[in-house]
Amino acid sequence: MTSVHRGTAAAHARAGRSVRSLRPQGYLWVLPALIVSAGILYYSIGYTGYISTLDWDGSSPAPEPVGFDNFVTLFGDPVFWAALQHTVLFFVVTFALQTFLGLLLAALLHSNIRWRGLYRVLVFVPVVIAPAFMAPVFRQIFAADGALNWVLEHIGLGFLTHSWLADSATALPVVMLIAVWGSTGVNFILYSAALGQIDPQIVEAARMDGAGGVRVFWSILLPSVRGTTLALAILTAIGSLKTFDIPYLVTNAGPNHATEFLGTYIYTQSIPLAHVGYGAALSVMLLVIAVIMALVLNLRRERGEA
Amino acid sequence: MRNAIPRRARVVIAAGTVALAGVALSACTGGQPDTSASGGTTEISWWAYGPDVSVVDQYLAAFNEEHPDIKVNFKLISQDTYDAVLRPALASNSGPDVFTEDPGARFEQFQSYGTDLTPAFEDALGSDWSSQLAQIGVDAFTKDGKLMAAPVGGDFAGTIWINQDLFTEYGQTPPTTFDEWVDVCAAFRSHDVGCFVQGAQQTDFDQDMFQAIADTIEPGLYSEAVAGDAAWDDPQLVQAFQAWGDTFTNGIMQDGALGITQFPDANNEFLAGKYAMVMMGTWYMQNTRTDILTAGMTAAGNTGAPFVAVPIQFPAAVEGGTPGGLFGNSGGGLAVSAKSAHKEAATTFATWLATAPAGQQVVADLMVNTPSLKGITPDFAALGLVAPDVQQPKIEWMIDEASKVTETRKLVDPDLEQALGTALTTIAAGDASPAQAAATLQQTAESLRG
Repeated sequence: MTSVHRGTAAAHARAGRSVRSLRPQGYLWVLPALIVSAGILYYSIGYTGYISTLDWDGSSPAPEPVGFDNFVTLFGDPVFWAALQHTVLFFVVTFALQTFLGLLLAALLHSNIRWRGLYRVLVFVPVVIAPAFMAPVFRQIFAADGALNWVLEHIGLGFLTHSWLADSATALPVVMLIAVWGSTGVNFILYSAALGQIDPQIVEAARMDGAGGVRVFWSILLPSVRGTTLALAILTAIGSLKTFDIPYLVTNAGPNHATEFLGTYIYTQSIPLAHVGYGAALSVMLLVIAVIMALVLNLRRERGEA
Repeated sequence: MRNAIPRRARVVIAAGTVALAGVALSACTGGQPDTSASGGTTEISWWAYGPDVSVVDQYLAAFNEEHPDIKVNFKLISQDTYDAVLRPALASNSGPDVFTEDPGARFEQFQSYGTDLTPAFEDALGSDWSSQLAQIGVDAFTKDGKLMAAPVGGDFAGTIWINQDLFTEYGQTPPTTFDEWVDVCAAFRSHDVGCFVQGAQQTDFDQDMFQAIADTIEPGLYSEAVAGDAAWDDPQLVQAFQAWGDTFTNGIMQDGALGITQFPDANNEFLAGKYAMVMMGTWYMQNTRTDILTAGMTAAGNTGAPFVAVPIQFPAAVEGGTPGGLFGNSGGGLAVSAKSAHKEAATTFATWLATAPAGQQVVADLMVNTPSLKGITPDFAALGLVAPDVQQPKIEWMIDEASKVTETRKLVDPDLEQALGTALTTIAAGDASPAQAAATLQQTAESLRG
């Protein structure tokens, strides 16, 4: 570099520093988001933690501090443990079904079949329909005199008719089925994108070596979408913890807490029963479980990448 | 390294982001009606979980004949979400001017947000105002000697409403005992007609039915248990729990009752003509009016002619028992928010609906509640009943019975209310015996009393 060039470069650098000193720093651009996340989100978490140490109905001017009594009550509350059990079961079943169905549909619709676009829309439509809109429909479908029992009777399976929502044993599977119906489209879309990243020559080479459809699916497609699967696991886990709309609108968390989830229990305790302190303690516990779950799944993902 | 995005574009993107954030935030904060005074008219907001808008329109039309300068904006909120919506609104500065609260637990939770209406009632009715109103309503909304909500009318349960046309068509007589009820249901079922529909998922109405059952076995025992003066595992209450559980196995209760709600599911099933009986109270009197019943039937998908709906006494649950009477208290009372910016107008409206003869006549004629003001009866001639000869005597009986009621309906303690609901659904599902459920309920009641 000649002295002219060095001088020019130095002049540019000085100009750049002086211009940069006039430009707003990068953090100012993220300040609004920072205010929202730190100011509102973490403040809310902290305030919820404080409320969890109170015996309070949410409106009286003199809440009573009770220390960790709400948490002691929580650990001895059979409904809390039932809700947690339902959440875990809900996660395992819905994740398994949504993964299987989503990947299967993505694989089937990955090829150039006729009306592929229409099928993709049909698979995704349930995702965009509001649960509040569908809840009365599902209550009718699964009612004792509803559409499902009618169909079963008319195809010679009348012995299978049941009061699906009124029975503790079948209410939770129905809730899970509705959730799978409403969320498989998300898995489908993400797996479709992931499958599109796979080099077709790998698949072609496998087929030339004699690999069948199942072998290609198991040994090539499934490992190739591992990252997507883990991401969906995290999303499904968090979604399971937050589950509220379907059990609340379809079964009202019943019968007899058979479809009680942490979300519905927090709502019941906080609003109709006005045990805001106890509801806050449940919320804190939900946060702790969510963080632990995210850490575990993230560690698993990092190990997989390593 | 030079930024790949030109400076002008970055400015546009940043400005657009800020604008979008502003729109999003304003959308989050909107939603409350703008109640204000303009052109001599004061607008106030009234939030309630009922009655239907068609009923409210009649209230407001009558109100505006006397007070054209006050415009009431009504907001109907579903019963299930009412507490969740109302509490934060009242705690904020953007809540309603007037809000409805029913007696019992909800009144206990929200009465502190209201204002004392005693002076307004004294102005309207004089110093002896409380003697001119149904005492049960005054008692329900009085706290520490102050009237914290205006009792508009009474709400009484304990009856069963039947579709008389179905009973006539299939030659059935309304049952007076559980044994007769089982036979009636068997007869309807043999004709593929639904007998009795209950939305057992909504435990409020399960409690009504249980209280009715208990009252046929030992009148007043249920109320004593609620007050803590009797045990929930008293043998006669266990008998009542048994009778309740039996309805799920002896053919009285419809299949899948635990999976549906009373409103809208069971109500719609009855209005659709699919079932001959439903457990409802005085609020169902409105369905004797052709106009209201037709609207309800249409909403339920029934385009047939209006059927004759009549109330009957609750059948005696055990041998030697007596058919049940009514129980209940005030329907929803209108409270004036202490934070209302239009307290005078809001108080005028709440007081008018509860004390003005014109307002109470509308209440009586709408037949959703029994009137709070004594001496007011429905103007049957103008109401357009579906079958006046059959229904008018029944309505008069119901109003007369309601005036004698001493047993309340709503529990004050929401925890006890929930525990009772859990006991009833547990028995209904067969997850616990009546004795077990009663014992658990008694333990819970004792722990709640400390």
